[in-house]
Amino acid sequence: MTTVPLLSPVFTPIPLQLSDFSVDYLVSIIAVTLQVSLTAVALATVAGVALAVVVGFTDFPGKRLVEAVINTGMGFPSVVVGLVVLIMLSNTGPLGEFDLLFSPGAMIISQFILALPVVASVSLSAIESVDESLADAAFAAGGTGRDVQVAVLREARYGITTAILAGFGRAISEVGSVLIVGGNIALNTPTGERVSFTRTLTTAITLEARKGEIETGIVLGVVLVALALTVNALGNALRARGEH
Amino acid sequence: MLDAERISYGYSDEETIVRDVSLSATEGEVLGLIGPSGTGKTTLLRLLALFDPPDDGTVYVDGTDAWSLSKEKRTRTRRRIGMVFQDRSLFSTSVAHNAAYGLAVRRSWTERATDWLSGLVGGPDLAAPVEDALETVGLAEMADRPAASLSAGEAQRVAFARALATEPDVLLLDEPTSNLDPRNTAVIEEAVAAARDRGIGVVIATHDMQQAERIADSVAVLLDGTVIEQGPADELFESPSDDRARAFIDGELVY
Repeated sequence: MTTVPLLSPVFTPIPLQLSDFSVDYLVSIIAVTLQVSLTAVALATVAGVALAVVVGFTDFPGKRLVEAVINTGMGFPSVVVGLVVLIMLSNTGPLGEFDLLFSPGAMIISQFILALPVVASVSLSAIESVDESLADAAFAAGGTGRDVQVAVLREARYGITTAILAGFGRAISEVGSVLIVGGNIALNTPTGERVSFTRTLTTAITLEARKGEIETGIVLGVVLVALALTVNALGNALRARGEH
Repeated sequence: MLDAERISYGYSDEETIVRDVSLSATEGEVLGLIGPSGTGKTTLLRLLALFDPPDDGTVYVDGTDAWSLSKEKRTRTRRRIGMVFQDRSLFSTSVAHNAAYGLAVRRSWTERATDWLSGLVGGPDLAAPVEDALETVGLAEMADRPAASLSAGEAQRVAFARALATEPDVLLLDEPTSNLDPRNTAVIEEAVAAARDRGIGVVIATHDMQQAERIADSVAVLLDGTVIEQGPADELFESPSDDRARAFIDGELVY
């Protein structure tokens, strides 16, 4: 048992009884969480905004269907995504040779799949809600087709930032798929320390709660909420800065 | 310089918005395009601005059919034409950025990246034509303001500056003052006169007869998508030969 003192300016320090828990271990969980979610969202941003641009700026047969698929994807159950990724990455699956199952790579893939429709859908509605008069203005000012698209994207920039933040929210708060394809693995170092390999804050909370370690779960939950809030605050600061 | 010859246009087969219209924008002259709302003025101006090819007829720029040109050449041709719209059409950036937009799209992507970077570190002052254009509409001191903070009248003046800053040969104005108060209207009308004095050919659509009388050298009366009468402003207002044109000018035929 390790004791992590939780300092409070008002009350006397409360020694929380956190089972089997060190600061280094906690930091390793946070690191895995951020590494997986930030990478997945970065990839989902590139692909999702590109998808939104293609769908938003072109007309093609079946466009409605593509939009419907993207929108449906926003609410897709994460355990199902996890299951599909598990099948794809398992030894007998089509991507088995890459040996990604139960690694952060597999978790990045599943979170990417979960965040992609969120980023694409919210970006697309941001692009489509830009008033057509602004596209006309860009064209009339001598802009080429590309210039017009850039101008519309710039007008949609707040909406696209929201899309990225929403995608991050979906990724970092998600349990089902990372549990299935990551395996919630922590490794023991030779010195007896534990270090997260595929354990994220969400899967760690699941584990601690199941063990009945509610206090540990609460601490992890607070850290998770704080991380999500920090990223959102950074995103909002970025939006405010670009507002002129 | 910009000539439409017997152009027609419809959004569908049943409906013709512009029918068999011929008119010209001439250097240093203001052509007033008058007629009630919904009579095809906007569609006609968009055809002149080379947004879409006409279904019939030809739009000539310096005697060349604009739609016979390659896309690149047509873009270059389009860049000699400036346009101001009826509704608010500013980007949600600064006044300066809006006014400089037309010049920015004429620069290469490398130059634009350099401009953007130098803008981040304080950057150089506004390009002279942009400064000039903002001066013309009386908004030079508002260059750093966000466009979203402007009143409708100020926004329209910036839109005018954006068109003027590219130093076009032709300016197309689509009811530029229909939503404005008298003071902003006066500023725009003065700017139109200044543009004309610089040799720019102006086509201004308006349903305001007094405005047409004030600033137009010649007038075309548009009704149901077609020009029913065309001629020098003073003659046409004095003694219109077409009955419907007379009715419109007398204020009997409105909307």
